[in-house]
Amino acid sequence: MNLQRLLYTLPLRLRSIFRGAQVERELQEELRFHLDHRIAEGVARGLSAREATLAALRAMDGLEQQKEEMRDARRIHWLTDFVDDARYAIRSLRRTFGLAAFVVVTLALGIGMSAAAFSMVDGLILRPYPVPHSRDLVDLVSTARDNAFDDFSYREYVDIRRLAKSYDGVIASTDVLPVGFSAEPATPARIKAGMLVSGDYFRVLGVEPQPGRGFREEEDLVPGRDAVMVLGPDFWKHDFGADPSVVGRRVRLNGTDFTIVGVAPESFPGMLVFQRPDFYIPLAMARSFAADRRKNFFEDRDHRVLTVRARLKAGTTLQSARSEIALLAQNFTREYPALNRDRGAAVRTLFEMRTRGDFSEWKFIVVFGVLSLVVLSVACTNVAGLLLSRGQTRTREIAVRLAIGAGRFRVIRMLLTESLMLAFVGGLGGIAVAYAGIRFLHSLSVPSELPVLLPFRLDERVLLASLALSLVSAVACGLAPALQATRTDLVIGLKAADADAPGRRRLWGRNALVVAQVSLSLVLLTAAFVMMRGFNMGADAGTAAVKDHVLMARFDPRLMQYTEAQTQRFYQRLVDRARAASAVESAALTQNPPLGLNPFDRIAFVPDGFVMPRDREAFTSTMDTVDEGFFETMEIAILRGRGILRADSADAPRVAVVNEQFAKHYWPGEDALGKHIRLDARTGPRVEIVGIAQTLKYRSTFEKPTDFVYLPLAQHPVPRMNLLLRSSGDPHQLVDPLAGVVHALDANMPISDVRTYADVYRYNVVEGPGTGVEIVATMGAVGLMLAVAGLYGLVAYSVSRRTREIGVRIAIGASPSDVLRLVMGKGVVLVGTGATIGIVLGLVLERLLNAFLFNAGGVDLMAYAIVVPSLLTVTMIATYVPARRAARIAPTQALRYE
Amino acid sequence: MLPLVTEMSKPTDLVQGTLDLLLLKLLALEPLHGWAISLRLRALSGDVLQVSEGSLYPALHKLEQEGWIKAEWKTTENNRRAKFYALTRLGRKQLETEAANWKRLSSAISHVVQLSEI
Repeated sequence: MNLQRLLYTLPLRLRSIFRGAQVERELQEELRFHLDHRIAEGVARGLSAREATLAALRAMDGLEQQKEEMRDARRIHWLTDFVDDARYAIRSLRRTFGLAAFVVVTLALGIGMSAAAFSMVDGLILRPYPVPHSRDLVDLVSTARDNAFDDFSYREYVDIRRLAKSYDGVIASTDVLPVGFSAEPATPARIKAGMLVSGDYFRVLGVEPQPGRGFREEEDLVPGRDAVMVLGPDFWKHDFGADPSVVGRRVRLNGTDFTIVGVAPESFPGMLVFQRPDFYIPLAMARSFAADRRKNFFEDRDHRVLTVRARLKAGTTLQSARSEIALLAQNFTREYPALNRDRGAAVRTLFEMRTRGDFSEWKFIVVFGVLSLVVLSVACTNVAGLLLSRGQTRTREIAVRLAIGAGRFRVIRMLLTESLMLAFVGGLGGIAVAYAGIRFLHSLSVPSELPVLLPFRLDERVLLASLALSLVSAVACGLAPALQATRTDLVIGLKAADADAPGRRRLWGRNALVVAQVSLSLVLLTAAFVMMRGFNMGADAGTAAVKDHVLMARFDPRLMQYTEAQTQRFYQRLVDRARAASAVESAALTQNPPLGLNPFDRIAFVPDGFVMPRDREAFTSTMDTVDEGFFETMEIAILRGRGILRADSADAPRVAVVNEQFAKHYWPGEDALGKHIRLDARTGPRVEIVGIAQTLKYRSTFEKPTDFVYLPLAQHPVPRMNLLLRSSGDPHQLVDPLAGVVHALDANMPISDVRTYADVYRYNVVEGPGTGVEIVATMGAVGLMLAVAGLYGLVAYSVSRRTREIGVRIAIGASPSDVLRLVMGKGVVLVGTGATIGIVLGLVLERLLNAFLFNAGGVDLMAYAIVVPSLLTVTMIATYVPARRAARIAPTQALRYE
Repeated sequence: MLPLVTEMSKPTDLVQGTLDLLLLKLLALEPLHGWAISLRLRALSGDVLQVSEGSLYPALHKLEQEGWIKAEWKTTENNRRAKFYALTRLGRKQLETEAANWKRLSSAISHVVQLSEI
């Protein structure tokens, strides 16, 4: 019925909208036709032509009114009214071009910043997985005391897949792994990003590789049998020129031949936020890619390296899936008490995964989001203030409109249309600002081995958000002025050119706006300072001294099919020869340099003689594997005992160096030197603590002091190591000697990720955090600028309104300085109030930021010492200019005013 | 120029909504243009139902926008273009409903009127 009606009415409405002129002509013609007949009839009855015409018109009962009623019948009034309003708005805004331009720029800044922040929030938190029906996908995680988002082991994954009934498929994948890739067997390997996935990965995700196919499930059954791979779309395009004939081609991964069976579609860049796998390999081929040879991927139940996701069956609730997985975890604990003693399992949504506590990026983004909304609200209040004072000068126009019968709602609509036009143009500008902001973020390049992608982009979701923000700000900054303007007392409004209602109430709102702006921008600037201080806290911690002299290079002899013994020999000879090379002051090996990009490994351990709580197997700590040159090369102080020595070989007694924090943590008030810890929980070797090193910043400069353990490479062999070479001068001069040394050892050994330590350090300590500070500081500066403009506008406006009063004062003997004091006094009171509120809010925010992100601690008096006076100075200037103008008013001119 | 004076009379001439019914009924017989409808109304109902010519066109436009009648420009016998209205399928349904309503209403009213005479 409704649809059928639409069939008739929709074409009519569209015609009324788009062919309005013709519809109008037809209306005239129809009535003309009627009138002509009526007149002819009258003439036939003997009336004169004129009389007949008049009679005909009279019979219509008011022709224009009937026409208007016929137009009403078209039901497009709301639209034609809107178009009229919009036309009028454009005309009236063009008259006050300066004001309109200022408002547009203000809104563009606010909207643009918020849209850019939204693109960050979206990229990091909100954007769904790029697969069909992504809402049904959940993450299954293992939960331990210190990690509520742990991975599962292969065995556990197989059990879950077999036993869980809530899902239409359970898939597993590893992290992105660095894999040596060569398109031809003869070419040296390059490091590419590979990902091991279960055989049903593409099927369960609903992704169909094209050209070629996804994995067959039997290709993931027998370890080591099916050497097949699926390419990622970007890799296919860049390295294979999007050649469809790659399907069936054989390439070499870590020295093993693999057959390409398919290419993932463009729409599926992978499931990760920051990285894109170059290719996918079945889990069954895991042995060629094992990072830790001492662990058996397929057998060890505690080798937890798999991310497990599942597609919920239709009709299954999250609740029931959660209780099922909890039950499975209990069974695991019962069956394998040694390995799963204090372990559970949980179902997590995408949102929960992306906002996990151990993942600090999203917190920054949320802070940026909130701050940018603060800037937007400053912008809106500012614009509202301007429109309010504009509304005041339009009192008369609005009074006339109301007097001749416009409804209040209609006038509000007209005024809102104006602010909508402003916000719309502002929104367009905002998109440009957002684009610039996102470009700025992309200018950061992350010095990592595998490319890291920043997921921020200006897509349809961000555009939609900008549109929504524009609409919201249109209402936010337009509604209050519109309401106020239409509340005018008609009699006063019509009498005076621009009337001020008596009393103070009217100015109260605008004063509040200025106070709010001053305090909010103060809060923003404080936040910028707190963040800067937080980032700088540990910037000089330990490794800064050597950063300009160290060159790094990464090796992975697995790519050359080295055995563990060969690997050890290779590293020994590499570092020996490097030390002998000219210009090398010292050389060392480390698994990860401090403040590098890769996460440190963790070890489980029990301090000797320590009684563990009943439900707890072991403590864990971050760790690094280093050789004897490490502490010297990086100039890390050994506070007591000794560092790692060459004598700490595989058959010597096991030793470790711990940092001061570790020593204090586990042996408070005692000397940790000479104490023992047992590695890998209770089962591993007993290790003596032979040295205590200074506590560094390991992951970020604003981290809290962290426990840290160093183990000697010879006793804790690791295949992937970084060689650190220190020179007395520019580390780049070491690149050639390094290549020579490596070439002499093994001409085919790939050297990856050669860069100076300063690169990594700069990114992690200066650029990354610096970007954050820059963003917040920009927001603060923009906020302050807006506040100053708002304040200036307000004071200038109130001066212009008080011109007559000031004239009278001067006429009866006030000096210019009296007037200056009078006018500026108001500004001072407003700024003072705003600053006070801002300081209180700033203190609260500082506490929040400290709790949330940093360990900066304490009140940042410096920040206030800089921010508050500069804010006061700037705002003083904003009040001084109009105040001085007021003081110079000639009394005669002032009294003539109005 | 224009007669702004409206004769505030004849609001009682037609029961609210019956004009729609009359128009639909007339157009159900054959497609007509506005002038013809006004002639027909005058002729059919004599002087009992006085439809203001002014309110005729807004009513027609309303029915058109409701989708009950559709308009078409055609040439009349004396070679002038005129807007002819014809009933749509929706309009036919609407006519049935309104006619039924009218019957119910009028029979109820005449019933009441007869009662009061006793």
